[in-house]
Amino acid sequence: MTPSAASDEPQLEAQESADIAGLVPLLQRIVTARVGQHPAAEDIIQETLARVLAAEDRIEPGMLEPYAITTVRNVIASMWRKDDVAARNQHRMHDPSESVEAAELLVASEEQLAMTEALARLTDRERQVLLAHEVSGLATQVLADEVGSTAGAVAAQLKRTRARLRVEYVLALEGTEPPTDRCRAVLLALSSADRRRQRELDSARHLLECDVCARLSEPLLDRAPERPDEVRVPIGADPDIVSARQAARELAVRAGFVGADLTMLATAVSEVARNIVRFAESGEVSIELLARPRAGIRVIARDTGPGISDIDRALQDGFSTYDGLGLGLPGARRLMDEFEVASAPGKGTTVSMTKWFEKKG
Amino acid sequence: MTSGPALVSILRQGDVLVASVHTALDDSQMLRFQHDLVRQIGEHRARGVIIDVAALDVIDSFASRTLQSIADISRLRGAATVIVGIQPDVAFAMVRLGMGIGELPTALDLEEGMVHLARVRDRARR
Repeated sequence: MTPSAASDEPQLEAQESADIAGLVPLLQRIVTARVGQHPAAEDIIQETLARVLAAEDRIEPGMLEPYAITTVRNVIASMWRKDDVAARNQHRMHDPSESVEAAELLVASEEQLAMTEALARLTDRERQVLLAHEVSGLATQVLADEVGSTAGAVAAQLKRTRARLRVEYVLALEGTEPPTDRCRAVLLALSSADRRRQRELDSARHLLECDVCARLSEPLLDRAPERPDEVRVPIGADPDIVSARQAARELAVRAGFVGADLTMLATAVSEVARNIVRFAESGEVSIELLARPRAGIRVIARDTGPGISDIDRALQDGFSTYDGLGLGLPGARRLMDEFEVASAPGKGTTVSMTKWFEKKG
Repeated sequence: MTSGPALVSILRQGDVLVASVHTALDDSQMLRFQHDLVRQIGEHRARGVIIDVAALDVIDSFASRTLQSIADISRLRGAATVIVGIQPDVAFAMVRLGMGIGELPTALDLEEGMVHLARVRDRARR
């Protein structure tokens, strides 16, 4: 470097670090293209910048970008390689002598406490039978003989008791009391996978409205069998409208719907889902195949929005409270075979509609 | 912004814009499409617009209204619009839904759409 250039040097340096900062969007683009939303994306960029900074003196003017691009590729490649090695060697990592973590012990003792409390909340009779069966291993027939009942009745009672125990257990574990009278009943219906009771209680709506139950119900629902004949789509924004109608279409195809019926169903789902987005902001659409009284598909759209004050008017053509054609609800009604709206101001809205499957030919 | 494959492509053929919708659009994507198309009419000084909706499996009230708006806006911008490729099932559902599409010029497919536009312009010239 010539002495005359020395005075320019600080300025030049500032210029260069500005260049390096300018690399960030470029690197972000490259990293996103290669690893997407990988949690390490930001680390990769930082690592690259650090390497470029370290090598700054050696980089010829104008070569900063190519250098950075090559570096970021290398960083990504070495990350993949490291991950790969780690994955291959993972089975060697297990150390059987490792002691149980204190945190795990704490969790275990909390779980135990919750279980004790849940057991205590059962009635004496329930607890006795349950413990005799589960812990002492007495057969249902033996238990039935003791009380002069049948094995079936005892088994049914045990099933109910287990369902209650699960509810009390999650409540005890969370350390909360359910906020409303309905909560326990709803949770119990979910825990026992009793679909008739769930419908009677309108448990789906309760879960939308009650945060505590929505949270508590997750472990209870997890153990319920996967239901291939039902789909629930949470609705919160525009793209959910498309997801809901696609889910409905897929389910209906499986049920044997064809042609125009499919399109009418999907269009009706689209309309009711849009109403949720427009008026209530959040809710859900559940789609369920029906086998009785005949093959069909039922769509229930629930929301926790402001509700409809004049349902008759909302069902009239051309009545629109937003900038629409006012065809939403009346249109959906024409597309489906059965249609019902339940709503009251402040109570949210439930639209239930059914389309029956007609075998053609 | 959405990434991935384009949802809609707008191509120029002479002074006609051919817009093909490739996949189901949600409401905001539909509005963006409307916006893009209207802008391109000005940019390309287009005299005709063909919107191919063959890939849409559902045209609900919002989609119909948007298509209607596009046609109206294009007309005000000096371009005739024709919607082509409405699937038979979709047409059936639109009628059931009660969509008033009387005003919206439609044609069976792209070819018929071109013929329609040519006819409209012939009429305008006379």
